[in-house]
Amino acid sequence: MQQHLSDGELRAALDGELDTERAQHIELCASCRARQQQLQMKQLEAGRLFAFLASAEQTGPSAQIAWARFSQQIKKQKERSMTKRWFSMPVVRFAAVALVLLVLILAFPSTRTLAGEILNLFRVQQVQVVSVDFTGLEQLTGDGALGNQFTELLADSVEIEHEPGEPVVAASAQEASQLAGFDVRIPTGMTPSQINVTDNAALSLTVDRARAQALLDEAGRSDLDLPASVDGAEITVSIPAAVSVSFGTCPRPGTDVAGNTEQSTTERRYPDCVILAQMPSPSVNAPADLDIEALARIGLEFTGMTAEEAAELTSTVDWTSTLLVPIPRGGAVHEQVSVDGVTGTLIMRPSSETPQYALLWVKDGIIYAISGLGMDSQQAVEMANGLP
Amino acid sequence: MIDSMKYFKRESADAARAEAGSLELEALFLEHWTSVYQILRRLVGDPAEAEDLALEAFLRLYRHNQKKPKVENAGGWLYRVATRLGLNSIREWKRREQYELTAVQYALEETTQLSPAEILAQKEEWRQVRLVLAGMKERQSQLLILRYSGFSYKEIASTLNVTPSSIGPLLVRAEGEFEKKYRALAQGNAPAKKE
Repeated sequence: MQQHLSDGELRAALDGELDTERAQHIELCASCRARQQQLQMKQLEAGRLFAFLASAEQTGPSAQIAWARFSQQIKKQKERSMTKRWFSMPVVRFAAVALVLLVLILAFPSTRTLAGEILNLFRVQQVQVVSVDFTGLEQLTGDGALGNQFTELLADSVEIEHEPGEPVVAASAQEASQLAGFDVRIPTGMTPSQINVTDNAALSLTVDRARAQALLDEAGRSDLDLPASVDGAEITVSIPAAVSVSFGTCPRPGTDVAGNTEQSTTERRYPDCVILAQMPSPSVNAPADLDIEALARIGLEFTGMTAEEAAELTSTVDWTSTLLVPIPRGGAVHEQVSVDGVTGTLIMRPSSETPQYALLWVKDGIIYAISGLGMDSQQAVEMANGLP
Repeated sequence: MIDSMKYFKRESADAARAEAGSLELEALFLEHWTSVYQILRRLVGDPAEAEDLALEAFLRLYRHNQKKPKVENAGGWLYRVATRLGLNSIREWKRREQYELTAVQYALEETTQLSPAEILAQKEEWRQVRLVLAGMKERQSQLLILRYSGFSYKEIASTLNVTPSSIGPLLVRAEGEFEKKYRALAQGNAPAKKE
């Protein structure tokens, strides 16, 4: 006689899942039959309770319809993932921070009149330097938890409507002008080593107040309270094509020289590099009812200003036309200089390892910047004055 | 910006491979969608929730295959993930509350043989069954769900990565555990406790 069946085997037999030879034993063994009957009662009771799992097929979306929905999800995910990875890059992230700051630190003059629902908020006509404490910004641009959170927020909030593409090399100022759509100027008597044109870009940012506030809280700035009205506001940014004219041996455009950990190497590699960048003013549009002034104060306070300093600055600047350039407090000096027939701003960063300078000015709606390594900022002024 | 361009180029280089993967994914999707959806539809009761969860299961398979070696038994993987998602959904109180309303609503619409009172009594019973399932060890819950959804031992074994001969003993244990917990819940002696 065969060995008695285990409960598991008896259970399998009830489901018709036990091999025939073993199952035959049940016919011959009263003990096994009795145990199986007990198991069967339990099985029947479980079957009754689980009847909803075995109910007739319910109507639902067909596989084809579901696949179409699924494909859409995948597409969205790919786009989101691409944007997210894009924003994970230090260069882009820093640029994004600068952009967000730019948006944050713009405010309306009190006398401004609103025209229409959407206001053309900002167009650069002049440059003003503001010294800020970069600690808060470094938190956002770093690779720490806060930096990652910021990247996530940007990826979710920003929609890139037009990708600028890789810079294109132009053979002459004339070709660069055709590509960029504005008159590119090159100092008289100077021969560029390279001219690059970067296509225009456009993006829109939809403010997620809860997440932005959570970010401020995370950064230890719970004292800064974003106005409820900013939630869902859509800010669009249009950045025209830009031209970068290099003189001497220069890094490729877009290379993260500033992020190079071996800065002295950078200086050795590009000792004579001077770059003249020129670009029509970007424009920023925001809903007319967006409380930009409050955002501006918060942005300035986040960058280390006291509430009083922020309030004072917001009251003295023409926000619709001034590009605020943040420079590290204590790490750079600046002065106003007369260049190209207008007043420009010369910023010098007298670092012992890699001193840098930048000369910024705006003329006829075009923003110009000359930057180089070293302390010989005078050549930037001469170059600017040599423009035709 | 150059970094971003390199990234986009890399993306383009991967496009052909992605296209092939996409066709494979579509075939898998069309093959398993109905089964995965139906299991979830019965398990959670709410058609919209079931659809979301089923899509999520396929999305996870897609993501998994992007990062790791492709799963060999995609069907089994899907059923395992789908039942886990369904159980998680039941565990979430807010969704469960919503499910209750929806499930009763659908039951009333679909059943004509029972009176509303009987339907409500049956739904209450099923609610408790679902709660008990959601409170059990995941492997045991999945085993019961798959078996009572009509899966053969071989199919269950393939899904849960066990041998077919172990299904009988595992079922006995799972049913015993279910019975114990269900009685406790039905008698109000103890709430279903997640293990």
